Parts: sequence; C-alpha cells; structure tokens
Amino acid sequence: MKAFDYKFQHFDPVKSLKSAPKSEMYVPGHRTCAGCGPALNYRLVAKVAGRDTIFIGPTGCMYVANSSYLCTPYAVSWIHAQITNGGAVASGIEAAYKVLARKGKYDGPFPNIIVMAGDGGSVDIGLQAASAMMYRGHKVLFICYDNESYANTGIQTSPTTPYGANTTFTPPGKEIPEGKTLFPKDPPQLFIGGHPLLKYVATTSVAYPLDLMNKVRKALSYEGPTFLHMLTPCPKGWQFSEKLTIEMGKLAIETGMWSLYEWENGAYKYTHIPKKYKPVGEYMKHQGRFRHLKEEHIAKMQAFVDEKIQKVKAAAKPVEAVPAEPKKN
Amino acid sequence: MADEKMLTGCSAAAQALKLAEVEVICSYPIRPYTAIMMELAKMVANGELDAEFVHGEGEHAQLSVVLGASACGARAVTGSAGVGVTYAFELYSPLAGGRYPVQMTIADRTLDPPGDFGSEHTDAMSVRDQGWIIGWASTPQEVFDNTLMGYRIGEDPRIMLPQMTCQDGYFISHIPDKVKVASLSQVKEFLPPYSAPHPISTTCPVSHGPQIRPDQGAPMDAQRAETFLELPGVIKEATKDFNRIFGRNYDPFLEKYRLEDAEIAFFIQGAHSNTCRMAVDALRKQGVKAGMSRLRWVRPWPTTEIAESLGHVKAIGTIETSTSYGGAMRGGNLIHELRASLYDLDERPLTTSFMAGLGGETVWLEDFEFMAKVLLQTVKDKRTSKYVYWIGFED
Repeated sequence: MKAFDYKFQHFDPVKSLKSAPKSEMYVPGHRTCAGCGPALNYRLVAKVAGRDTIFIGPTGCMYVANSSYLCTPYAVSWIHAQITNGGAVASGIEAAYKVLARKGKYDGPFPNIIVMAGDGGSVDIGLQAASAMMYRGHKVLFICYDNESYANTGIQTSPTTPYGANTTFTPPGKEIPEGKTLFPKDPPQLFIGGHPLLKYVATTSVAYPLDLMNKVRKALSYEGPTFLHMLTPCPKGWQFSEKLTIEMGKLAIETGMWSLYEWENGAYKYTHIPKKYKPVGEYMKHQGRFRHLKEEHIAKMQAFVDEKIQKVKAAAKPVEAVPAEPKKN
Repeated sequence: MADEKMLTGCSAAAQALKLAEVEVICSYPIRPYTAIMMELAKMVANGELDAEFVHGEGEHAQLSVVLGASACGARAVTGSAGVGVTYAFELYSPLAGGRYPVQMTIADRTLDPPGDFGSEHTDAMSVRDQGWIIGWASTPQEVFDNTLMGYRIGEDPRIMLPQMTCQDGYFISHIPDKVKVASLSQVKEFLPPYSAPHPISTTCPVSHGPQIRPDQGAPMDAQRAETFLELPGVIKEATKDFNRIFGRNYDPFLEKYRLEDAEIAFFIQGAHSNTCRMAVDALRKQGVKAGMSRLRWVRPWPTTEIAESLGHVKAIGTIETSTSYGGAMRGGNLIHELRASLYDLDERPLTTSFMAGLGGETVWLEDFEFMAKVLLQTVKDKRTSKYVYWIGFED
C-alpha cells in the first residue's frame, strides 16, 4: 500500500491537573445520576481528547442518560451505535476518514475516534465487534467505562459484575445466598496478546484523574487500536452514597479490587501500588450490593483479590509511567 | 461508450460498484453473493479502485461498518445472502431511520433449516418492513443497472435511504450473460457524488441518533413514511435519466409483458421471469391471452401502477419464491400486497398464489403451463377455488 500522511494527532502529556485543558467537550445537559462515575470519566476523556474528536456511543448509560434529542452534552461529533457494534461503527468511521483523506475530500487532522462503551458493550454483547476492530488495526481508542453492571436497564449482572453482587438478575436468596456466584471477566486480558496490532492497553480509575487523562492522551497518540479499561463507580448500581464516588475509586485501588497499569508493546507497567493493601471489606462495606454477604463470602472475595495482588506484585516494577497525582498539601 | 461483456450477476454488480467509485466496502463470505466481494477485493488489491476494504467479522458488523462510513459521507457498500441477511437484522432499522444511503448487494439464498445453497427471495423479503428500498433484478444487465440506480435513488437528498439490490442466487449471480458495461463518463453523468447533509465531522459537530421521548417518535415515523410517498417520483426521474443516458427502456416499477389485452397474468419478480416470458409467448401461440407483470422494486410497492396495469386482467397468479407462513393467503408474500393494490377497483381480478422456486428449484416451462391452466379454470369458474398451489406437489 502506498504511504499516505493521514495527519494523525499526537499529544503531549498533561503535567498537572492545573495545566489540563480548560475547555470542556462533554458539557452539562445530560441526565446522569448524582455522583455518576461514568459521566465524570467522560468529561475527563473528552477534555484531553479535544475538539478534533468523534465519539461513538453504544447503547448504555452514557447513551441513555446523556443523549436526549436536541440536547446532547457532546461539544464534538457523536454517533449512537447499538450496544452490539461500537467497534464496527468506529471501524467504518475510521475507514471513511482514511479514504476521504486519500481522495482529498477531507484535509483536517485525523480525528480521534473513541468508542465509549459500557462493560456490556465492550466484553459481553459488544465483544465481537471490539475484538474485530482491534484485530483489523483501525486507529480507534476503545474505552470500556466499567460500572460493573447493565445499569441503565435497572442494574443487571454483566460479565464484569463482581462476585457476590446483588443485581436484579442475581438477587440473593435462600438457595443462592451470595447473589452473583461468578467472578468477573478481565477485559484487558481478553484483548492483550490476541490482537497483533493492539499496542497499548491501560486501566484507569476516576479517582486518579491525572493518570487517567495521560493514559487517554497516550492511547490517542498511537497510530492503531488502543484499549482503556476505566473504573467508573456507580452510586445507583453499587448502592453507595453519591458523595463517595471518588472514595470508591480510591478504595478499589487500595484494596486490590482494581489495579492501575499500562501494557505497552508487550510490557506491563504498574502504578499506584499500595504499600499495604487494605482488606476488601473496607471497600465492600460502603456498597449496598454486597450488604447481604456473609463472612465466608467476603473471605472468598479476599482470596480472589489476594491472588490478583500476587500477580501484580510478581509482574510489577513500579515506574512513573505518566505524571503522578499531585501530593496533597 | 458501453462495452459489451459476458458477465455473471456477481461480476456485473462488482463492475457497477467500481464505476460508482464506492469508498468503503465491508465484506463477509457467504454463498452466493461472495463473488461480488471477491471481485471488489481484487480491484482494490490491483489499485483499480481506491476504497477501504474492511473484512467484517459477520453481517451484523458489515452493516455497522457501512453505517459508520456513510455517516461520515463516504459511499459505502456491503452485501450478503440467506442467513447472513437475517444475522444482520438489528441494523436495518438504524440504517434506514438514520437515513444512511448505503447499498447492500444481495444474491439471494434460502434460510436454514435445512442448509441449502439454493436461491429464494425469503431472505431479503424479510427486510421489507424496515424502511429500505428493495428490488430484484432479472438479468446480469439489470443487476448492473439497478446497482447504479440504487445509489442514485437512495442518495437523492429528498430520499436518503439504504437500498437492497437483489439478484437471484445462481440463476443470475453465477450464469454469465451479455452486459453492457457503461463508461465512467456515463456513470458520472447519471450519478452525482454522495453528499451527506450532516456528516459526522470535526468541523461541524453533530449528534446522530440521540434518544427521543415517546411523543417525538410518531413525527419521525411519519417523516419516514412521507419519504416513501416521495420515492416513486424520484424513481421515475432516475429511471428516465437512466434510460436516456444508458439507452435502456425500463419501466420504473413494473415490466409489463404482453399485458394490454391479457386475460390471465403472472405476477413475478426476479430471475424466473425469463422462463415466464417464454411461457407467455408459448401460451400466446396456443391462443391464450397471457401476460406477465414483473415487479422491479418491491419497496416502494407500486400500488397505483399495479391497479392501473392489471385491473383489466381476469385472473392473476403470483409466483412467490418466498414464504409467509401463517399469512392471510397461506402462501407467500406478494399475494397480500397484490390483492391490497387491487381492492379499490370496481371490478377486481381473481387471484391465486403459486409457491414456486423455493429452495432454489427451477421453475420450468411446464410449471408455468400448469399455472396457466389453473388461472384459465379460475376465469371459467369466475371464482378462485384454491388460494395456494405448491408447484411440484399438485396433481
């Protein structure tokens, strides 16, 4: 194939929260719940992606609670995709911009093409389209904003819903006291290794905004497919007080329920590894979805998390991959 | 000017798509339409066609990819057959409702079970209520022509609708016939470049497909319905221009073959019309006033034209080539809308339906002779004694 300059965008890291772009690309005008983790996440992603961006919004909270007709919160172009096909619609958009650029019908910078998919739209019903997009090597950032359930339909279990969660499809009862009996899928691991053109995968938490914004920028600077698994606590689905969204995002890291890392050209870089992990109970006790669990269930969760922590410790060489969070005064 | 070649229906489609300068192509293999994509893949590989060739991971993805491409202002094509057409089902309404004028090129095939490679119209006919423009070609030449006409009609700013250009699997898709391949200048005269009115772009941000309130639903549905009222006029214009530029003689909606004084008529779409035409000639030689009405576009359905051109016929038999289990007439699809189109006439023709060409079976001359006998008996009896005949199973 002939070489062609598509004018791909490249971004510098954001050095501090203060130096983050002032302009917002995800603005008020939506109907998300108070304390919505995915909405805050959207704002941060859109802010650092900037104006030359196209969002693909598969059905999910960030579609249903955001995109009221004639009143959407996106200051950049946005297109709805079915919950099934975020990766495929994004592939078509990317293909269109490539051919339009080659034919001289478009001469701007190559747009940031970002799929903002929920956990169901990423690794359940949307998995096939996401995988194929990455396999084919489209220059698309696929984001899984993980609120750990099918939330806008009334909190049903998804493949990333944690063990023991009470959802409307996994209600605890006499026969099934723990509610959800399965442990979650691991989205980054589904994509890492199986997609030769995928070069960058990272995890984030809304509680670590600088880390988050820089991972977005890094992902967008790659000239191929990238994937971010973004923890976005959900007050409604997890049943915690809406003022605790950031706290949940922190406790997830501090207990080892979630870890922050980058996978770049085959190597893992972990950041924000706690010196001493808190017990998972510290995280779970704030969340109504775990309230019914007995001690043996919490012990089972702890054992699952301990195993994850062992893996982190084994693989981790803590490095400052991206600028760290500013220290508290 | 036109260059005459022996081409299969699949090659004819690929040649027309090349001349239409399609920009995004999304493939997935399923027989028999696959050959269209194979030819397009070669054209892209050889540098004859500057397009993005995306290997979809299934038909659902195929339609999703072309949706995204069309939303950005690229001319996009995909295609399928049989269960591939039904696997993609979620996307038909978003494509039509989103007013993305993509083209889906179909070489039709039976649905499962059981697995069968044969031609049947049931696959694409199942999409008829989703707001697409749908029509069957009856020769490789018409495949070529409908491909260009499809884009012209669908991309018309008054219309903006996706098109399903269908051909019968194997009968048309894999049997070569003479095709006049138009020149690029002819195509350019007929088909202006695609221009999306509100593309997904970075220069003018837009939102496509936000949620609406229930009270906003009906007005949008009504708008789509109104577009279908405008569609016949646009099809007439496009057909007239096409006939002028390419030297053809298409009727926009119905091929009317020896219908003027016909007492009995076959109502048909697609490949079997070629045998049907021969049957009509044979019957005429025997002194039977037979004719044929061939549907060119099943969506939009040409209600008025049917009433005008078939009202005088005494008995009409539909050749169904698709199934509608449990439907009003217990047979195929065409009979329902044919009868509805004739309902307001003071004197209505009698009708019956013939389930023929299912599973990829050939509809033979003798079959048409049998059908003619049934229709003649119907005329004689002045009533329809049986609404459905399963051809090949009748005594």
